Amino acid sequence: MKSNIQVLLCKCCTEMPKVINIERLAKLASESGNVLSVMILDGLCDGKELGDVVTEAKMKEIDRAVVLACQKKDVSPAVFKAYKRAGVNPYLVEIINLREEVVLPNASDKDRAQAKAENKLLAALARSRLLQPLERSSEEMKTRNVVIVGGGVAGQAAAREAAKYGVHTIILEKSAKSIIAPGVVMPHATLVGGKGYGGSFELKIKVGESFESLGAASVVIASGGGWTTLKGSLAKAVRGAMPLYEFHQKLLANQIPAGTVVFMDSPDPAGKTLRVQDYAWEETLETALELKKRRPDTAVYVIFQEMRATGLSELAYKEAAEIGVAFIRYDKGATPKVDPKDPAVLTVKDLSYGEVLKIRLGTMVFASIPASQDNLVIAEALRIPMSLDGGIRRGSIQRGPLSTPKPGVFVCGSALFPKSREVAAAEGQAAGKLAGEFAAQGVIEFGGIVAQVTPEKCSACLTCIRTCPYEAPCIGNATKAEIRVQACQGCGMCVGICPSKAIELHHYTDEQLMTESKTLLGGDF
Amino acid sequence: MPQTKPKVIGFCCERHGMDAVVLAARSGKQLDASVRLLQVPCTGRVDGLHILKALEDGADAVFVLGCLEKNCYYDTGSIEGRKRVGYVKQMLAELGIEKERVEMFNAASSNSWIFPEIVAKMVDVARKLGPIGGEKR
Repeated sequence: MKSNIQVLLCKCCTEMPKVINIERLAKLASESGNVLSVMILDGLCDGKELGDVVTEAKMKEIDRAVVLACQKKDVSPAVFKAYKRAGVNPYLVEIINLREEVVLPNASDKDRAQAKAENKLLAALARSRLLQPLERSSEEMKTRNVVIVGGGVAGQAAAREAAKYGVHTIILEKSAKSIIAPGVVMPHATLVGGKGYGGSFELKIKVGESFESLGAASVVIASGGGWTTLKGSLAKAVRGAMPLYEFHQKLLANQIPAGTVVFMDSPDPAGKTLRVQDYAWEETLETALELKKRRPDTAVYVIFQEMRATGLSELAYKEAAEIGVAFIRYDKGATPKVDPKDPAVLTVKDLSYGEVLKIRLGTMVFASIPASQDNLVIAEALRIPMSLDGGIRRGSIQRGPLSTPKPGVFVCGSALFPKSREVAAAEGQAAGKLAGEFAAQGVIEFGGIVAQVTPEKCSACLTCIRTCPYEAPCIGNATKAEIRVQACQGCGMCVGICPSKAIELHHYTDEQLMTESKTLLGGDF
Repeated sequence: MPQTKPKVIGFCCERHGMDAVVLAARSGKQLDASVRLLQVPCTGRVDGLHILKALEDGADAVFVLGCLEKNCYYDTGSIEGRKRVGYVKQMLAELGIEKERVEMFNAASSNSWIFPEIVAKMVDVARKLGPIGGEKR
């Protein structure tokens, strides 16, 4: 295959020439092998000069390019589009971030900045000569189902939003409660197993006593929290413990027993798993306020380690403090205790004043919502990670706040960590939109930068299968590892770990990476 | 004699790692010019071989920069990267080469101060230790 390289040098308006000598860089590029065309542009990002680039690329039969500009994310859409017009494969366009790696941080040392820039250019050219063209392919989705696990606040909101994309929503609800939501609602149904990748999941569900299989394009986990459970040493020891939800219902029905009411953040303040849960403050403050308004003569305490009254609940805090709700902050080292002989007296040391208070309890209300017990089953079924608190752990924030590490699986509401109803509903809507959009695409795009196994080298040791978080490698019919390209995300973890060096990652092969590092180290520093 | 122009190479993941580098530059931090970065999709892609080869090719110090371990784009990638770096460190110790020359770092894309710290630390290590095997090489 021929390699006719075009080098584009972006001036980034006037920033680059201030530090580095662009003409010397252009000369160096034009003297290097395989470089047929060198162009200096005023600014790539506005796209005005890309027309000339395309004309020049077509004329000189360019098939690969090295672009020295700024961050890849910023310039790649325009550059890839232009080179697509010139018939250049996007995987052969190498974008080097000269602005943020050389020009901005090394502006005070121009000689060394110039050497670094030249070095980076040569390394990019060396790498460019080794790159292979890659193609992405696509596959029609077999189904447009969006499966929502859980029919609570978040699940219903998710179904409503997902349905707007014209997909089939299926809610799996473990109880028999009535749910008003578009699509299918399956009562007594739980998710017990699954396989597949984003766009083509095959879920195994348990309906009543029988097992069924269900195809899904995307999955929303809205398993919620276990509202009524009271786990934790303090909640067990104290008399009159009650979860916030139950207390609120009793308050509305005027069934609260007389006596002092203490609100507390966590039923297990000294424990590790149930951390201080900031979600609950809004509800706690509002309930405390309601209680104090209804019964002004009742003593109300709120005991907390860290208060996070966000947004408008700040006003509730202010109002509660004004009408006489007592706020007591305790330290992690001196958690509130009850005397085992008299479980109705709570001893708490105020962190602010250092005083030890003894409160005779009427009711003790805990705001904590432990995570749903079903999360373990769901996480195992879809093979996604869990957090220490027993919730579903979300993926990297760069994937989005409601995504799991697995593409096509979204999570919302108290399944992540306990939340108030408003936040859960908002998250449910967002997750429903994401899942609906994902399923409505109709096609799964894959390929490009993916791993590939050389069967002759593979010894079927299963290391890749254990390492991959996406279940892309599998053992095929020939008892050798194979990569399911639809599931492969192109991270290259299996490539680095393979003891037989049998796997290769396209676009980041050992040869390409080591040639680049060798060229980088070969020049002047 | 302290080395004035050490050679440091960094394998940098293109997600949080590269974003941290870009943010550091955009927040106006001035850095030592001895660091060359090499982009990898994920630090899990970095092989012990790459690090050893870079040291063989003349690098005085090598670092790997990935996402935070609980916020990795590829879920377990930066944990794998750290394991790989640990393996190389062990190998270097057996070879009698200072294992401080190879280091793993984690950054979030919003941490602008982390990359300048890494550069300062690694350049310092490279200056102090000098080329592998003494001045003659």
